Amino acid sequence: MGARKRPASSARMPALADATGETLRLWRESMGWDVPRMARELRKVARDSGEDVAAHHGLVKMIPQWERGNRAPRDRYRLLYVKIFASTLNDLSEGMAIGTDAVLRFAEVRARAALLPGPDEIQALEDDALAKPRETMTPAEIRAVAAEAIAHLHEVSDKLAELSALLGGDDPGEDNP
Amino acid sequence: MSARDDEIRRVLAELDVHIAEVEASVAVLKALMADGEVPGEEDSDPKPG
Repeated sequence: MGARKRPASSARMPALADATGETLRLWRESMGWDVPRMARELRKVARDSGEDVAAHHGLVKMIPQWERGNRAPRDRYRLLYVKIFASTLNDLSEGMAIGTDAVLRFAEVRARAALLPGPDEIQALEDDALAKPRETMTPAEIRAVAAEAIAHLHEVSDKLAELSALLGGDDPGEDNP
Repeated sequence: MSARDDEIRRVLAELDVHIAEVEASVAVLKALMADGEVPGEEDSDPKPG
């Protein structure tokens, strides 16, 4: 009882053990989980492996602090993250036949891409920014910034499609901006 | 597999750059909306007193 089992895949997942708070947030969001769900998942895997962890409400407070980088999760929580995400990411890795580190980067990039605003939202931001005179930027500069954002957004879409093709028909572009 | 891995890494790196560019541009537009300031534009160094 209470013996800590090391996750079998932890040796293959150094990036997980070294994950920054931002990465923890992106992984959580890439699963579509809110903070309470993340807390439940941590408690579930802890229970399965006989670990003692904070109560649900405590985790709900700690997770955002870890994700913002205000506090670093202790080793036992890092190991729980490894247990949760290692299986998912290893499954992805096997399914895509690519290295785990590439899958980790893929999951991060996909999560970030999913959070980007769409062209319409950028256009709306531009319109709002142009509606009031600005001292720091001219209207032409504001338009240029918005145009640049939209151009890069299209590049993101193209690259996600390219990645999808490389990964052999998986659907990483489901949340294309 | 190695060539494919390299290609995937290349595309991921490019994606990373494009996403960062969008994020930066959107941050500028949102900062304008928030308080009319553009982040990172510190052309003066006000000194107290």
